[in-house]
Amino acid sequence: MMADTDNKMRIEDLSMYYGSFKALEDVDLDVPARRITALIGPSGCGKSTLVRCLNRMNDLVDGTRVEGEVVLDDRNIYSPGYDTIQLRRTVGMVFQRPNPFPKSIYENVAYGPRLVGIKGKQELDSIVEESLRKAALWDEVKANLRESGLNLSGGQQQRLCIARVIAVQPEVILFDEPCSAIDPVATQLIEDLMADLKKNYTMVIVTHNMQQAARVSDFTAFMLVLEQGDPGRLIEYDETNKIFTKPDDERTERYITGRFG
Amino acid sequence: MEVRKSFHEKLEELYLDLIRMGNLTIETVERTQVAFANLDQQLAGKIIEGDDDLDAYVTRIDGNGIGLLARQAPVAIDLRTIIVIMRLSQHLERVGDLCVNISKAISNMGGYTPAPWIMDNMDEMFKRSRNMIVQAMDSFKDRDEKLAEELTKMDDKVDRINRAFLTTYDKECEENEIELVIRVVMISRFLERIADRAVDIGEEVRYLVTGEFAD
Repeated sequence: MMADTDNKMRIEDLSMYYGSFKALEDVDLDVPARRITALIGPSGCGKSTLVRCLNRMNDLVDGTRVEGEVVLDDRNIYSPGYDTIQLRRTVGMVFQRPNPFPKSIYENVAYGPRLVGIKGKQELDSIVEESLRKAALWDEVKANLRESGLNLSGGQQQRLCIARVIAVQPEVILFDEPCSAIDPVATQLIEDLMADLKKNYTMVIVTHNMQQAARVSDFTAFMLVLEQGDPGRLIEYDETNKIFTKPDDERTERYITGRFG
Repeated sequence: MEVRKSFHEKLEELYLDLIRMGNLTIETVERTQVAFANLDQQLAGKIIEGDDDLDAYVTRIDGNGIGLLARQAPVAIDLRTIIVIMRLSQHLERVGDLCVNISKAISNMGGYTPAPWIMDNMDEMFKRSRNMIVQAMDSFKDRDEKLAEELTKMDDKVDRINRAFLTTYDKECEENEIELVIRVVMISRFLERIADRAVDIGEEVRYLVTGEFAD
């Protein structure tokens, strides 16, 4: 492993099935701590499926099963009895379409802490402010915390969703195409935010926008389905600089140079 | 509002690295001048050894520049800045190589004592070439097209001094000084090439500022 940091998570020999359909095959991937790892590849290559394995979101779909391991801090998250509720606090997720609750900005962020039993107003106020600051949203909303989160712009809603994740003190944040539904300037703000968040959080981003992966990530994994009906496979994984200047695999190079759909 | 802070910070680092390389190059020219003035072979040896430092700058600037081009898709002034920084590092490295060549020539001048008029002439060429590199780098720092344009006239002057020097030398040198003649002529030529490199840097600055290539 080439990182100058330890791995926060490791994916080992992971295969994943939707019923009898094999969606992923034999994926081995490191997720270095406090770095951004990007998953790229054409539509249908399994990158979203893979990222949803990292916090067992795929469990919510009937008939899914995995082989292999996903290790978080030296424990396999698929081991029997593993606390999936706690897992989804530790490994938070930001989705493609911003999905704030139909509540006030304040309540959106306070919701998670309230659920884990935090009741004191001062403590909640402090958590809300800190989370909104960390999501680079505080200055824009501090005067309107009681307004509905749905009144914010798309980019602001997405940052509100990031604040909501941060409020429950995650260690890993997963981003599944976080910018595909928002405008380019808002996208840049979120990319800048991710660069700041790296100081404290490990991040994985799925993106169909290669340039975004190139700009924002430290490590890039390229995935591909070789033939129709095949499972998604990891083709190449390396430092982003290497992938975008001299990838080892010809298939990676064809994809990133646009010679492959 | 500024976005892409991380990219702009990396671009600033690349820029500062090039400035440091420029400073080291100017220092190298100055030390080479001292080595020649004193026919100091020890100093000449150190200059030759120190060339690796300039080479290391090019490798790093190239690597970082290519990384930024690949990953950040820079446009407009950012694109021109990265390209010009990478080209400038090549020119500066070449100036370093010319100083190595001069130092090697100095190393082979042991036992000779060039006449004062030769030393004065070479001193003049060293000063002018050094000043041209300084002005070239200043034109880059200040994005000053006029400062860059002046380098062409300054170079003409260096060329004229070089030609006059060679003509005079041809008449003045003694038969038994042939080794010395060869070395001094070479050094004069290397200094003239350093001046040429300053002009090249000026042309890159012009491209940086205007986005147009020289005819």
